[in-house]
Amino acid sequence: MGSVPLLQIFPSINIPLPMGAIYRRLGYKRGVTKVNERKREEVGQYIEYAASLVSLKGAGIRVPLERVDPPLIVLKTGADVRSVRLAGLLNGCKEALFIGSTSGSVVMDAILEDTEGGDMTRGVVIDAVASEMTDAALDWIIGFFNRLLARENARLTRKRFSAGYGDFLLENQKMMYDMLKLYRIGVTINENFILMPEKSVTAVVGILA
Amino acid sequence: MVKKMPLKNRIREKIIILDGATGTELQKRGMTAGVCPEIWCLKNPDIISDVHAGYRDAGADIVYTATFGANRIKLSQYGSYDVVEINRELTLLARRAVGTDVLLAGDICSTERFVRPFGDLDFEEAIDVYKEQVKGLLEGGVDLFVIETMMDIQETRAALIAVKELTDKFTIVTMTYEENGRTLNGTDPVTALITLQSLGANAVGCNCCTGPEEMTGLIEAMKPWATIPLVAKPNAGMPELVDGKTVFSMGADTFASFGADFVSKGVNLIGGCCGTTPDHIRMLKESVAGRKPVLPVRDSISAVSSARASAIFEGERPLSIVGERINPTGKKALQQELLEGRMSIVRTMAKEQEKFGASLLDVNMGMPGIDEKETMLDVIGNLSVAFDLPLVIDSSNIDVMEAALRLYPGRALINSISGESEKLIRLLPVAAKYGAMFILLPLADGDIPETAEKRKKIIEDVFKKAAALGFTKSDIVIDGLVMAASSNFKAPAETLKTIEWSSDVFGANTIVGLSNVSFGMPERKWLNAAFLAMAVSKGLTMAIANPGVEELVNTKLAGDVLAGRDMDASKYISHFSQMSTKVKQEDAPSHKAPEDEMFQSILEGNREDIERLLSVAMDSGMDAQRMVDESMIPAITEVGALFDRREYFLPQLIACAETMKKGIAFLVPWLGDSKLEKKQKGVIIIATVKGDVHDIGKNIVALMLRNHGFEVVDLGKDVSAEIIIREAVRLKPSVIGLSALMTTTMVNMKEVIELAQRESLDCKFMVGGAVVTKAYAKSISAHYAKDGVEAVRVVEKLNAFSTDSYGE
Repeated sequence: MGSVPLLQIFPSINIPLPMGAIYRRLGYKRGVTKVNERKREEVGQYIEYAASLVSLKGAGIRVPLERVDPPLIVLKTGADVRSVRLAGLLNGCKEALFIGSTSGSVVMDAILEDTEGGDMTRGVVIDAVASEMTDAALDWIIGFFNRLLARENARLTRKRFSAGYGDFLLENQKMMYDMLKLYRIGVTINENFILMPEKSVTAVVGILA
Repeated sequence: MVKKMPLKNRIREKIIILDGATGTELQKRGMTAGVCPEIWCLKNPDIISDVHAGYRDAGADIVYTATFGANRIKLSQYGSYDVVEINRELTLLARRAVGTDVLLAGDICSTERFVRPFGDLDFEEAIDVYKEQVKGLLEGGVDLFVIETMMDIQETRAALIAVKELTDKFTIVTMTYEENGRTLNGTDPVTALITLQSLGANAVGCNCCTGPEEMTGLIEAMKPWATIPLVAKPNAGMPELVDGKTVFSMGADTFASFGADFVSKGVNLIGGCCGTTPDHIRMLKESVAGRKPVLPVRDSISAVSSARASAIFEGERPLSIVGERINPTGKKALQQELLEGRMSIVRTMAKEQEKFGASLLDVNMGMPGIDEKETMLDVIGNLSVAFDLPLVIDSSNIDVMEAALRLYPGRALINSISGESEKLIRLLPVAAKYGAMFILLPLADGDIPETAEKRKKIIEDVFKKAAALGFTKSDIVIDGLVMAASSNFKAPAETLKTIEWSSDVFGANTIVGLSNVSFGMPERKWLNAAFLAMAVSKGLTMAIANPGVEELVNTKLAGDVLAGRDMDASKYISHFSQMSTKVKQEDAPSHKAPEDEMFQSILEGNREDIERLLSVAMDSGMDAQRMVDESMIPAITEVGALFDRREYFLPQLIACAETMKKGIAFLVPWLGDSKLEKKQKGVIIIATVKGDVHDIGKNIVALMLRNHGFEVVDLGKDVSAEIIIREAVRLKPSVIGLSALMTTTMVNMKEVIELAQRESLDCKFMVGGAVVTKAYAKSISAHYAKDGVEAVRVVEKLNAFSTDSYGE
């Protein structure tokens, strides 16, 4: 990439419904779980309903790395991060891709309404759909950048890493939030570094040239 | 001199050979990652000239300029550059390299930004960005244009409009499809073809992302619907990772071996993308030499599209319903919402009509007090993002129509163009520019023709003017002009005559605004349904109607069978067999004893029937406590066992638990001692710990525990240790359940337990959540439950035994 990091905002992400991932999240095991036609239809309707409430948005930005000296990772923007595991992921990378996605607030309102006295069965299904679609939106963003990187003979690392896991502290989410300007897609961050709406995620991926 | 014959004619004679990869060839010759390729080429003119000349020598008929990313958005990532100059210079450089015996295509690609309504780049700005590049390429003297490697249909439209507004040069458009056969934004190749060929592309196809084997399938899918030549530029196989580097390993001979297959599937222009070399192109040319190209099988197509789907009206197909609901006339709630700039009713109406089987959605925003153009554009944006159905743009305002057609990310159907002078003079050329289909309304200035004969005359007059602008009969849908039967009982017959003539004699598709026929009559649905059946028998293609009206849908399905438009009556049988299955399920009588029915009802999570079953049981004199103990508790225990064995998944578990909860709530008036039972079982406090807002797992645990007779006090989410312990001191629970989803908040569980120890609180702790493990639970002196079912067992056990063995 050039010298100017370009923030990409994706106000609308369209993905196929990740049905396999949704069913797995709900505990479905092929060949073991037995679901009659009526229940299958009911769950199918809930999934369809949930998908209609999800409004996927995202953001991504490529940032050059100054150096990776585990556990320290210094970005060319001047910011730095400490995480042995993230440094391992970024080993050999000259750039990192920071990405974020959200399913929007409408679906969260529906989950809240259903789980707090409405229809909890539907609530857990909506929750699973929103989680998996938000996650799939990150995959979509990765696919988008991979497509562009292929032209530069570069590619993204297979794995991605999110703040709050391992030694990559959740506090780092604030830096990612600011860099990705997630407020532009309706996401806020609280004093505990948690993104709202709840079904919002960020991640870091390495760019291998 | 091959160049002398126009490309359009040459395509009819032979397979046109395009060049191969530029990027991977430049990388081989020293271009490093991270540089601006266009600037690098200008600084290394001999190298890019060598690449261009290599493809000319290999036999390419068309060579692309090295201007792939030479638009101002991409170039701005590398600094401040003169876009026109860069495009002009790279074109001149390419011309010097290849001479005049091959054609030079001005290469345009993505800005890498998504365009409204799918992105934040304004549509007009995108057009402006591309126009700047097109200007430079024209100054450099390109022979044609190629818009390639596009991922987003709307950005592709912007690029094509930019080219077409500046020049009439031949323009190739190719998009990039993922392994699932769609672009990253979800467009399938047939939809892209329908949209782009109607918008003026001279050849359409695909490039990059896949190897030749996969790409032949995309060409094969497009060919039956193509009115223009098709293009393929596959990679040299799928990329592989070797020693940390991306390589395309398909050799030139293997690559070329797909040439014959491409030709037989209908490709007319073929070259190579990533990983291909002059050798690939040379061998490809040899493999297709002398093969006769398969020309487009049609000159026109009756089809519309959205960004992600198309609707084709060719051949004998079932009647299409155009959903009529998105129209504020007579809908106060929708009017109010539109005045406030909100879209939720519009989305709901779209969703309902899609669910009921509409093939297209009519959108009309004509109402006083709103900016019709802006509202129409907002609605188009909203619907295009969220729904796949193609839209019918319905407005009498020509400015609104033009703005809508420009932004709409597909091929729209215009409702409508009549024989009125203003429509013919102003709207018809607009429809032609954007390649829209249109509904031909047989009205002329100051005249509502009452007879079919008069309507035929107007239809022929309008079509003559449309044909002069390039329209064919496939591009129009004739409105039968439905008038109210109540004001003229002969009017429906004239409409039917118009439909029959249009369909059988004139040879065009037809449409009616169905409900007009019953205006002023009681029980309108019967007149509408009967008229629909009669119109279908005359060849009606589509009806503007409310697809939520059951009588209408059933009549349509029956009409399609009787008119021979539902082959094997498969759609009819499928629709009604589903309905009869539901009826049978609902009406199936039960011969089970009430206690067995209750057991079964909970086991199946039958929330709808549990109260009725309990009511019947109570009426028959059964004892409430006995029902709980002997039917309901065993049932929910069995549910837990099924969940443990994964024979049930979460929605089944929760549905069963909710059924149980509903049943217990119903029986409360008869369960006098239940409160005593709860006290004996003890109070449980549960909470999601400080800093964590995830609580669905905790809510499930609470539901399960309550179903097993525990009194659960749920403190909610993001609860501090101090509040949890304060409530514990007050309520004296036997167990405190703590939940956390993240490793960073999991540590707050320990804080709660340490505070409890400092306060000498005599209770046990149970923890759970996505990242919590049995080992972690043990390390903080807590018990672990992996899910709601296990939580019940853990709490039961902790209540039964006073000695602790943590981590179990």
